[in-house]
Amino acid sequence: MLQYVIAGLVLGGIYAIASAGLVITYVSSGILNFSFGALAYFVARFYYYLHTQQNWGIPYAALLSILVAGPALGVLLYFMLFRFLRLSSPLVKVVATLGLLVAIPALSTLIFGTEAISSAPGLAPQPVRVFDFIGVAVTLDQVIVYACVVATVVVGSAVLRYTDVGLKVRALVDSPAMTALSGTSPSAVSIGVWAVSTFFAGLAGVLAAPIIGLDSGNFTLLIAAAFAAVIAARFRSLPIAVTVGLAMGVVTSLIQKYLPPSSNWTTEVVDAVPFMFIAIFLIYNLIRRDLDRDSDRVGGALDRAITPQGATQLAGSTSSSLDARRVGLIGKYGGPGLLIVVAALLPILVQGFWVGLVAQAFAYGIIFLSFTLVTGEGGMIWLCQITFAGVGGLTASQLATNHGWPILAAIVVGGLVALPMGLVIGFLTIRLGDLYVALVTLTFGLLMENLVFTIGIFTNGGLGVNVVRPSFAVTDHAFAYVCLVAFAILALFILNLRRSTTGLALNAVRWSPPGARTLGISVVQMKIIVAGLGAMVAGIGGGFLVAAQTSAQPANFATFLGVIWLAALVTIGIRSNAAALVAGLTFTMLPALALAYLPSWTGQLPPILFGLGAIGVAKFPDGSLEQSGEMFRRWLYERADRRSSSSGAPGAGGGLAGRVLQAPSVMPAHLVEEVPS
Amino acid sequence: MMTGTDTGVGQMTSGAPDTAGPVMAATGITVRFGGLTALSEVGLEVPTGTIVGLVGPNGAGKSTLFAVLSGLLRPASGRVFLRGKDVTNASPQLRAREGLARTFQQPELFMGLTVREHVVLAHRVRFARQRLWRDMMDPRSLLPPARAENERVDQLLELLDLTHVARASVGALPLGTSRLVEIARALATRPDVVLLDEPLSGLDMRESENLASVFRRVVENDEHRVSLLMVEHDVATVLSLSSKIFVLDFGELIASGTPAEIRSNAAVRSAYLGDDDDSSTTPAGPKEAP
Repeated sequence: MLQYVIAGLVLGGIYAIASAGLVITYVSSGILNFSFGALAYFVARFYYYLHTQQNWGIPYAALLSILVAGPALGVLLYFMLFRFLRLSSPLVKVVATLGLLVAIPALSTLIFGTEAISSAPGLAPQPVRVFDFIGVAVTLDQVIVYACVVATVVVGSAVLRYTDVGLKVRALVDSPAMTALSGTSPSAVSIGVWAVSTFFAGLAGVLAAPIIGLDSGNFTLLIAAAFAAVIAARFRSLPIAVTVGLAMGVVTSLIQKYLPPSSNWTTEVVDAVPFMFIAIFLIYNLIRRDLDRDSDRVGGALDRAITPQGATQLAGSTSSSLDARRVGLIGKYGGPGLLIVVAALLPILVQGFWVGLVAQAFAYGIIFLSFTLVTGEGGMIWLCQITFAGVGGLTASQLATNHGWPILAAIVVGGLVALPMGLVIGFLTIRLGDLYVALVTLTFGLLMENLVFTIGIFTNGGLGVNVVRPSFAVTDHAFAYVCLVAFAILALFILNLRRSTTGLALNAVRWSPPGARTLGISVVQMKIIVAGLGAMVAGIGGGFLVAAQTSAQPANFATFLGVIWLAALVTIGIRSNAAALVAGLTFTMLPALALAYLPSWTGQLPPILFGLGAIGVAKFPDGSLEQSGEMFRRWLYERADRRSSSSGAPGAGGGLAGRVLQAPSVMPAHLVEEVPS
Repeated sequence: MMTGTDTGVGQMTSGAPDTAGPVMAATGITVRFGGLTALSEVGLEVPTGTIVGLVGPNGAGKSTLFAVLSGLLRPASGRVFLRGKDVTNASPQLRAREGLARTFQQPELFMGLTVREHVVLAHRVRFARQRLWRDMMDPRSLLPPARAENERVDQLLELLDLTHVARASVGALPLGTSRLVEIARALATRPDVVLLDEPLSGLDMRESENLASVFRRVVENDEHRVSLLMVEHDVATVLSLSSKIFVLDFGELIASGTPAEIRSNAAVRSAYLGDDDDSSTTPAGPKEAP
């Protein structure tokens, strides 16, 4: 028993250090850093590079990686990204850190190479010394973990609670503007905070490497598990986070003692333990109604007053701010029209292997429409859309292959199976802030991935389930068109919904729940509708994807792969149907193009680009496609404006609003419609 | 201290809507935040087709009372009636459907929508309810809207001089214009009563005069009698616009009556100017409440 506890305390110690870093970052910046695992992996990989590959001594390698490179990375990221997030909505913060989660491992592979490292040294010299503690063997690596946990708790709590620095750090998250007015530089404090945060990430990474190996996926899962401790601490209490982190490690270790060691089920259950912890803490807080929307609060009153309305939100207006009549049909329909033509011609223009990829791209486009609905229209950051796609895909494959259903009917039923799941998750998360919604959906995805998608009938011994396409569209070419038609139908459905009263109401709920409620709009109804529809569309998309791939593999629906999907879509545009199709094409074709025509190292570029694109939401919330379209429309508008000016058209009119808007610094002239003469 | 009974609201009962009595009434409203009593036994009534003012110094409980009336806050005790119907336990959206609309001190606009879309949405919420399934299945949303809807929306935009910014995204609007959009949105629901939370703040004198004239036109409209309950720090404007005024101080209703009665009320002068007030000064004196 004692040896299980001691072993558990090591894993728990790493959870504890990670959760301490996450809590300190959240308390001081209001950001739950989803990229913490990726940062930990990067520093651990750098330590391995210095110590093992370059033969540096442990102290020098540790000093340079943990104490120099880690904090330096934090400072660099602060200047590149985090300083723009300070007053952003939780939605933008989550998406931007998810972008880092996608980009950093790929960047690491680009720098350090693709070598798979299953065994990495820790901070103890090799061979690792072993001590005898009441009859139980304890390694020096384990002793170092314990010492680091104690130091983290003591120093972290003391600094945050009892020092001037701690006071300034806590003041910063409440109101950066007031902190500045009281003579403290918010930037200087923030730089320090991010340096400390990435120091913790690096420390957790180097300590964890001997246990989980140097695999970025394992690191991400390890840190995702640490979220349980952070949730238990309600993001703020360092001692609770550390205690729960340690307890989780011990419980995980003890469970192994009582489960059959040779069973696959044991592995699945042990892997799922931290996510069960997350679910338990979330449900507990939900019952206590403790999951208020405090986490959504952005700065103080002064900060909100000096921030342009809507400037910190993800996705902007439903329509261009330019007068549609002035940009003409080309400005209004030119982009979507061109995309339809290109998409329709693509299966004809490409050959062989590429036709199959185009079919998959269209299927991905359908899945991405579900993000458009849930995140773009509903304003909810759901990290389990890939799970719904998996539910749809795996259900469709079972029905079609094992029960003889026609595949298209099976795909529709797959979507209908995902729908109630979306409704239930939507109902449970209705009162939660954005951050909690992201965590609940992430946990749901990880639990499904570990406990359901691993069932034998889905994995089929690792081979997956073969899927037969409809008889009239067996070829890649024909099936690509089937996927495109399905995409078009669902895109029109979403467009119709967006322009309808329900669509406007959804928009209203996203921007101002009190305003919507006092107008007579039911916030609950609207959010649940979006959740259910989003899950159904993802499920249908998953069905088309497995049919396009002719195989249903549960591994293709891993939760963190869904984060890359989200990053790819956000880069292009989260609120546009056209962006969903372009993102599908980009996500599928870009890596294949890099692999086929460019040096092999360029294979890492697409995830880096998607990650950077998602990071870019901090500055450009609408995505690259919408931005390009707006630039084109602006060019058309200005051209029309020059023509009308030369023909002597009248200027902006009077009236109450017109007079208010005449101040050019307040309102751009192009937003003011001209009065007909 | 005055109570709801003093205002004559005490006779209100729950039951079927009453078209003859006041359009909105509240009795004995008490709200506590922990140990602090924000409102104590407050009552008021809003007659049909009138403008009613609600004034009081900062922290008097005006915004809290608005939150209670609109359903965003549940009182510890007391009742709220809309056209005689007890709506104390009704949600904000249910009250909105019963004919209540409101604006906010900090405008609660929908940043993703244009000015016109705000008005269209409010109009449809009132006149085209239960459209959810139709919205999903009926492709007519892809077509231009109906002429009747366009006419009504255009009328409202014109009334509030918002036509020139109809297609602008509200995120780019200055505060004063944002207030007008909120008012247009509220009126588009064709409400029986509108709660206006500091509608004139952020507007210059000329804009305030224009908006005041809009309010007069709205309540004098014979087609549909709208009542306005207005919280406003500009006491002079409130006195000139309102037919009845309620005055709150430290969560208690200290006076109610016509503008003339309020001007001569010693308790009101004391609340606004302190105990050592000059008897010749009226509440209209200070532009801003202390």
